[in-house]
Amino acid sequence: MSQNESPAEKIKKASNGLRGTLKQSLGDEHTGAIREDDQTLVKFHGMYMQDDRDRREERAAKKLERLYSFMIRLRLPGGFLTAEQYEEMHNIAGEHSTGIIKITTRQTVQLHGILKSHIKPTISAFNKIKLDSIAACGDVNRNVLATAHPKSSPIHEEVFGYADKISSLLLPKTRAYYEVWLDEEKLDEVNEEDPLYQDRYLPRKFKIAITIPPYNDVDVFANDVGLIAIIENNVLTGFNVAAGGGLGTTHGNADTYPRLATVLGYVPKEDVQKVVYEIATTQRDFGNRSDRKLSRLKYTIDRMGIDNFKKEVEQRSKVVFAPAKKAVITTRSDDYGWQKNHEGKWYYTVFVECGRILDSDVVKMKTAFFEIAQSRKATFRFTANQNIIISDIDDKDKKSVEDILKKHGVIEQTEKASNVRKQSMACVALNTCPLALAEGQRYMPQLITKIETLLDTHKLTGENIIIRMTGCPNGCARPYMGEIGFVGTAYGRYNMHLGANAEGTRLNKLYKENLNEEEILAELDGLFKMFAQQRKKKEAFGDFVMREAIFSESGLMI
Amino acid sequence: MLAEVKLKAFRELVKDATKDELIWMNGFISALAGDIAIAPAPETNGKVNTVSALSGCTIVYGTETGNSKKVAIDFSNRLKKQGVQSKVKSLDQYKVTDLAKESCLLVVISTQGDGEPPAAAKKFYDYILQNELSLNSLKYGVLALGDTSYPLFCQAGEDVDSRLNKLGAERLIELKKCDTDFEEDAQAWINELIGKALAFSTSGTNGVVETKAKPARTGKKIYDGIISSTLNLNDSGSAKETYHIEISSEDEIVYEPGDSIGLVAENNVAAVAKVLELLAIDNNEILQHKEQSYTAVELFGKKINIQHMPERVVQQYARLVNKEIPSIKMDLADLLRIYPPDNGTTPQQVVNILETIAPRLYSISSSAAAHGQGEVHITVCRSSFNIDGQTRYGLCSDYLARLEEGQKVQFYVQKNNSFRLPTPETDVIMIGPGTGVAPFRSFLFEREAQGAEGRNWLFFGDQHFVSDFLYQTELQTFMETGVLTKLNTAFSRDQKHKVYVQHRMQQQANELFSWIENGANIYICGAKDPMSADVEDALLNIIATQKDINKTDAKGYLNNMKEAGRYHKDVY
Ligand code: SRM
Ligand SMILES: Cc1cc2nc3c(=O)[nH]c(=O)nc-3n(C[C@H](O)[C@H](O)[C@H](O)COP(=O)(O)OP(=O)(O)OC[C@H]3O[C@@H](n4cnc5c(N)ncnc54)[C@H](O)[C@@H]3O)c2cc1C
Ligand SMILES: Cc1cc2nc3c(=O)[nH]c(=O)nc-3n(C[C@H](O)[C@H](O)[C@H](O)COP(=O)(O)O)c2cc1C
Ligand code: SF4
Repeated sequence: MSQNESPAEKIKKASNGLRGTLKQSLGDEHTGAIREDDQTLVKFHGMYMQDDRDRREERAAKKLERLYSFMIRLRLPGGFLTAEQYEEMHNIAGEHSTGIIKITTRQTVQLHGILKSHIKPTISAFNKIKLDSIAACGDVNRNVLATAHPKSSPIHEEVFGYADKISSLLLPKTRAYYEVWLDEEKLDEVNEEDPLYQDRYLPRKFKIAITIPPYNDVDVFANDVGLIAIIENNVLTGFNVAAGGGLGTTHGNADTYPRLATVLGYVPKEDVQKVVYEIATTQRDFGNRSDRKLSRLKYTIDRMGIDNFKKEVEQRSKVVFAPAKKAVITTRSDDYGWQKNHEGKWYYTVFVECGRILDSDVVKMKTAFFEIAQSRKATFRFTANQNIIISDIDDKDKKSVEDILKKHGVIEQTEKASNVRKQSMACVALNTCPLALAEGQRYMPQLITKIETLLDTHKLTGENIIIRMTGCPNGCARPYMGEIGFVGTAYGRYNMHLGANAEGTRLNKLYKENLNEEEILAELDGLFKMFAQQRKKKEAFGDFVMREAIFSESGLMI
Repeated sequence: MLAEVKLKAFRELVKDATKDELIWMNGFISALAGDIAIAPAPETNGKVNTVSALSGCTIVYGTETGNSKKVAIDFSNRLKKQGVQSKVKSLDQYKVTDLAKESCLLVVISTQGDGEPPAAAKKFYDYILQNELSLNSLKYGVLALGDTSYPLFCQAGEDVDSRLNKLGAERLIELKKCDTDFEEDAQAWINELIGKALAFSTSGTNGVVETKAKPARTGKKIYDGIISSTLNLNDSGSAKETYHIEISSEDEIVYEPGDSIGLVAENNVAAVAKVLELLAIDNNEILQHKEQSYTAVELFGKKINIQHMPERVVQQYARLVNKEIPSIKMDLADLLRIYPPDNGTTPQQVVNILETIAPRLYSISSSAAAHGQGEVHITVCRSSFNIDGQTRYGLCSDYLARLEEGQKVQFYVQKNNSFRLPTPETDVIMIGPGTGVAPFRSFLFEREAQGAEGRNWLFFGDQHFVSDFLYQTELQTFMETGVLTKLNTAFSRDQKHKVYVQHRMQQQANELFSWIENGANIYICGAKDPMSADVEDALLNIIATQKDINKTDAKGYLNNMKEAGRYHKDVY
């Protein structure tokens, strides 16, 4: 289907293994930007060119170009960091970026505001601690998620291993990353043949997550490939494989829609890599390469039909899907505070609002984590809820870790934060995201404060309601899977979605469009009132609104 | 053409005149035609050797902006017409040791800085002032170029003139001090000299009358301007403030790329109030300055320098109030506060020893071809410094930085004939870190307007890429449109080790030299120290290594470029 290929396809093919003119771009002394085609290629290396959108007008008046900088996203399968790695990352963030360490909704971290001249130092510093950003973005497989839940740890190690293996299995073969950013000599003898990606890579980003029931902290059904670990009498036997998840939509484009992954069936663990690999090759060969808005696997599957797709994968992998095995998922949230695992190791899950690790006047979170890292008494895990788990702490060290957390007010803020706040997520949006139509993480905390007051007035204090916000319909904080979802339409305005469930197996529905804060609060006031009066015992808000006939046919309330 | 009678008389006169007599007549008549100070007629006694006085004389010039050079060359042409051969040399090319052998030396020299000689004349100037030479056999004349708006009018010329005299050299003609409209006075001087020389050579007596040079009229065109826009080019977080200021004027402003504007700052209002208070006089008290009367506010506000006054003024004040005062630069307010005058001394006495505010120059960063004749742009870095804990600002850059749109300013155009664009087809290499970029913005707009096919290469530098890249988007547009062929930048404080333009030049040595060999002109503008020195050094290294010659030969190479008008500096 190479008729009218999208520009991105041409750039990929012409890129000589993702090298493009990146080296020349780095050499351009007159601009902080890189050349146009390279802006597409750099994503494959785990970076995005951005600019500070708050500063555009002012700088233009000063005859200065936009304040260009780069966001780098680490490839961190399972979201795990050793103490040494965390310490160095902290230093890198301080030296080369805004200093804020941003935990993403896919268990990794992003550093923002890295100037062009700082990219190479940043990457080589990460390289020294065996971290890279290869394929953290771009039309390839992305960071592979795995449940970070401490209680899951009996088989966590093993599942974590799969995340790592799959991530390596689906890595591009080109050495471009090492040549461009780490000055590696180009070796002619190394074979860059890439049977998976060839020279065209995938039509679009490709995402994989593994979850360990009953947990679904990774939102497994939002992924192109979702693997649900099947544990039979405490051993991992295999996975239920789901495919075709994806949330991104485009305002005013009816052909785009969020979709949860469809379960194809069960495969034993030794076959899972083969199957995942061939799902990727099927998408590579059948995916839409002319319209990037319709090129995700979810559209490929709906176009082929789920059965044809399944057949294709079975033929390619020579693995036949068994009927899915029973797997009960109950929650998506993190267990905040202290947890002890089966080996008696301690874990502390910290609530990191919108995933932003920084020092405020009250809470010195960044300092606390840094001191813990320096003490070498813990490891670090990021969760897909944008939180961090201080992990693998020996009994004898628990006190000293706790003291550090206390000293910097971390424990207090985690304990004090209300449940809605702890269940909420927002995407980055302004000022760095070029696609943002409205605020995300910069605004969500204030809105939550106002929602807390509403809940109080309706005696709903302490209610666990999952609220998610994004600055545009791309869905980076998975708003379509929130009991309440806010999707930015214009500055200060949001579409309001209602009705996903706590487990993450049901999408919400569009409820009202283009609301400003006042209208949002008015709507919620009414809904909470109804909820408080008419809910069944223990009924979750999402289930309640779906049960109550508050939606019209169209989905929109009349 | 001549009436019959006259013609007859003239024929009589020239009939059997000797060659020399004819030459003299010619000079005499053209002097007459020059309608200015006529040389006293010599007693012609047939066998004079008129040429002897000036023949084989050397005309040396010390110039910054090319005026003195122009005058010097005119002189030698005038002398040639008289059949007198002369050598013309720039003072930095002149071997000072030749002075002893020299028979006749004519010096044309301007004054720069605060009464200093031009950079190119420094060597010569210091040599004669610091050495006890005996120049008894030397005959000389000095023409000084200057500007009456500076406190030390034609100081360098005066120094040279009086020093040569002191060293025993014989004055052919008294010193002439020319203001900015120097052409006429210069003509008059050379004619007078020719006349005198002849008188001299015949009478053998020094025909020089010691008369004080008459105060030159300032023929400078002063423009009334209005600030049409002003903005700080540096982004927040920068250590600097660099203002792009656009000044518009009713009458068309005559300038070329490479010129500067000069203006006189107004003193800080608070500082003025302080001074008046210390002098215990009220705003409207009338005071005299340079044969004119002003109200106290006018005078201290706009005319006389009260900030960072030079040592010489401080010392005069010390004498006036007869107190011991260290010989340092001081603000008038501090001086009055720490060493108050006794009741004996009147404010007018104090005013008498104070100096006029010297104009400051700012390279024009616009091009008439691109922006029209109704406006000029300048690029002003607000000079700030720290005095016991508190930030202080330079007088004029602070005044300009604080000007708001709609406010009035007066300025004049300071021509710079030795900083001109070459022919359109010639390549241009511009090295202009900081505000040094100003004239190059003008150059680029001009070259674009000309549709010049020559290539343009700019080296720019400052502290930080993000906040200090002056005119970044304009320069980027020049790259897109192809006007700017290459743009290299050095931002000194973006990395641990400092990086400056000269390092970028070294990195580009190969290509840079091929441009030079290709006939490119080199221009340097910006801070004199250390930038211009370091850049010149880098150039010498590049030439030496690329041509594989030693440093001295490289110097020669660069000198030839200078002589050929291919190497230009405008540094401050
Ligand atoms: C950082 C993060 C949000 C957060 O606050 O945590 C994020 C941030 C961005 N996403 Fe996302 N996405 C993030 C998770 C997601 C998710 C959630 C998930 O994967 O579970 C989704 C929805 C699921 C999906 O993929 O459908 C998501 C769907 C998108 C899309 C829409 C894709 C589509 O199929 O339509 C875009 C736009 C695009 O790709 O064209 C996008 C693009 C972006 C970009 C890179 C904007 C861009 O393309 O220039 C955002 C960078 C903003 C910034 O300044 O940092 N992001 N993005 C998440 C990083 C995850 C990671 O570590 O890799
Ligand atoms: C040909 C030419 C072109 C030029 N082009 C430009 C241009 O394009 N842009 C530009 O910005 N500049 C340019 N300049 C420099 C400009 O003319 C001024 O010299 C500069 O702006 C500083 O003048 P000022 O009156 O602000 O500072 P001044 O008051 O003259 O002070 C100069 C320095 O003296 C010292 N000083 C002054 N007052 C005090 C005090 N009270 N106590 C202690 N120390 C003190 C400080 O070190 C200060 O930096 C050019 C100069 C020349 C000769
Ligand atoms: C930076 C600068 C400082 C000057 N300072 C003086 C001065 O102190 N006294 C003076 O009489 N003229 C001063 N002038 C005026 C010049 O001497 C005058 O413009 C002269 O015509 C320049 O001749 P040139 O082109 O040969 O250098 C100064 C000019 C400049 C550019
Ligand atoms: S959802 Fe939209 S605004 Fe938010 S980060 Fe993703 S792309 Fe940017």
